[in-house]
Amino acid sequence: MWGRLGRMDRSALLPLVVAFLVLASLASGQSADSENQKDISSLQQQIKDLQQHDRELQERIKALEAKQKQADQKDQTEVRQTNQETASPPAQPPAAPADAEVSPDLHIFRGIQWRGFAEVDYKVLNQHTAELGTYGFVPGSSGNFYIGDFDLFLASRLTGRSSVLAEIDFEEQDAQAFKVDLRRMLFKYELNDHLKLSFGRNQTYIGYYNWAFRSASWLQTTADRPLVMEYSSNGGILPTQAVGILATGSIPSGKFGLNYVAEYGSADTIRPDINGDGLLNDENNGNYVNLGFFLTPDRIPGLRIGGSIYHDQISDLVLTANGATIGTQAGGTNVPPESERWNQTIVNGHVVYIAHGIEFLNEGFLIRHAPIGGGEIFNTSAFYSQFSRAFGAIRPFIRYQYVNASLENPIYDDVGLRYGPSFGARYDANDYIALKVQLDRLARRGLPDLSGLHFQLSGTF
Amino acid sequence: MRKRTVRGESIHWLCSILMVCMAASLSVPSASAQRKDIAVVVNPNSSVTNISFADLRKCFLGEKRTWPGGAPVKLIVRAPGSRERIILLRILAMSESEYKQYWAAQVFRGEADAEPFTMPSFGMVKEAIKVFPGAISLVDPAEVKPGVELKVIKVEGHLPGEDGYPVH
Repeated sequence: MWGRLGRMDRSALLPLVVAFLVLASLASGQSADSENQKDISSLQQQIKDLQQHDRELQERIKALEAKQKQADQKDQTEVRQTNQETASPPAQPPAAPADAEVSPDLHIFRGIQWRGFAEVDYKVLNQHTAELGTYGFVPGSSGNFYIGDFDLFLASRLTGRSSVLAEIDFEEQDAQAFKVDLRRMLFKYELNDHLKLSFGRNQTYIGYYNWAFRSASWLQTTADRPLVMEYSSNGGILPTQAVGILATGSIPSGKFGLNYVAEYGSADTIRPDINGDGLLNDENNGNYVNLGFFLTPDRIPGLRIGGSIYHDQISDLVLTANGATIGTQAGGTNVPPESERWNQTIVNGHVVYIAHGIEFLNEGFLIRHAPIGGGEIFNTSAFYSQFSRAFGAIRPFIRYQYVNASLENPIYDDVGLRYGPSFGARYDANDYIALKVQLDRLARRGLPDLSGLHFQLSGTF
Repeated sequence: MRKRTVRGESIHWLCSILMVCMAASLSVPSASAQRKDIAVVVNPNSSVTNISFADLRKCFLGEKRTWPGGAPVKLIVRAPGSRERIILLRILAMSESEYKQYWAAQVFRGEADAEPFTMPSFGMVKEAIKVFPGAISLVDPAEVKPGVELKVIKVEGHLPGEDGYPVH
């Protein structure tokens, strides 16, 4: 036999050698698996022990909670009790990872969910001509620090279907004074996924941005809001705050994921001129109606396509900074103190995609002002488009914004044409702190272009 | 002679390939087992037996907040570092930091009462699911043994391990 093998061509032996080596390696893998099996059994036993330990801890927690309940003699709901169970320190087993998601529980105290948002900003502009100073930025300065918004959020479930939430905002004004604003106070009732009702003060559901980011800079990728979505108290051109009734919910639509938003309320907007002339526009809004729909199709997770239409009646009354009435202001010329009433209609369309680290926000607006007594109708168009992509903790972004209002429009005579890009990046130092840097370039009709550099440290706690 | 040598080589190669294939078939696990499915579990008293993948995603995004019977959806998730957490993030197409930011935003928007309960162990997940009638969570199917009071539901009509099961 060996003689025969010896006579064989060497190349004929090669396949046998290969097969032998493969089999040997697989066999050694199998034997290693059998050795590993012992380790796995040992690990399984350890897991069982840990689970037993976990059960014992749970029982101890339950006993402690029962004692506490008797002592307090409070009639708390089942949900609140459980929240407290998970929030109480003993609920974290000793084997929990160091960063074992304790943060959500720390934000629940006696059934009240709370959270805070804060920011510190430094901004410098190349033009020292006055623009509206907002959030504590001093217009005309070469650059200064300011606090912006300090925001406290509270929410509590009242019953299985009802809850209350409040958002208290401390907003920096001129001379480092702070204005307290109850940005939101809502009683909420959820019948099911198709009907959720809210009553109280809220940010209006015009478009996506107002709904998504509210007034927390930390949630935004950029350091500031697009001009068209800026709060009206800071020169934004839309009625961003209102008191009223809100209904939201999903509409059975299969894979299209259709949702609706319906609002009825009172906005009552006072908007400072953004050209820094110190005047205020008191719109004295009548009650408004806002109806919107949006799709979140199953086929493209993260995509949202929607739109809304808003209608109310406003006045073109102009006030001085101390509240004195001036009258209407057309073409930059003050006229006698008689204001005119206008129909205001705001149409929004948005396409948003947020998934796989990509954020792509696009919103367009058409704002129509028509005098009730007849006369010239003014249409103002605006849009912004923002794209960002996360690379680990760094998220570079680019935004382009555009607003075009007629200078003859007495409502927006301070706005004119404004457009330009913003570039920057956000760096998430951890789950609570973000650093942002943003470069802005804004072209303004009849005024020099405005360039700015904005640094922001924002966080949540 | 030359002809015989060539035929002999062919037989050797054929035998070798067959042996390798046999050995490989013994050592390579089945496709479904290799896939490492994750089970979707609910409270044992829940009437839910099947959920679409889209609805599962909506549940864990807080967009679907009530079950057909009216019970509120209560999300129980595992802590970072677990396989269930990795699968959850894959379903939501988010990174860990995006997930945390998303839920902070959901609560702040008023779209959720609280962030999902995060449990560091399967034992705690099991206990939490028993407490809440509307609870839902992702667990390793190997943990759901006879006697464990969890109800494994189908996703798109399939149970873990079956072809077409999408949660892995």
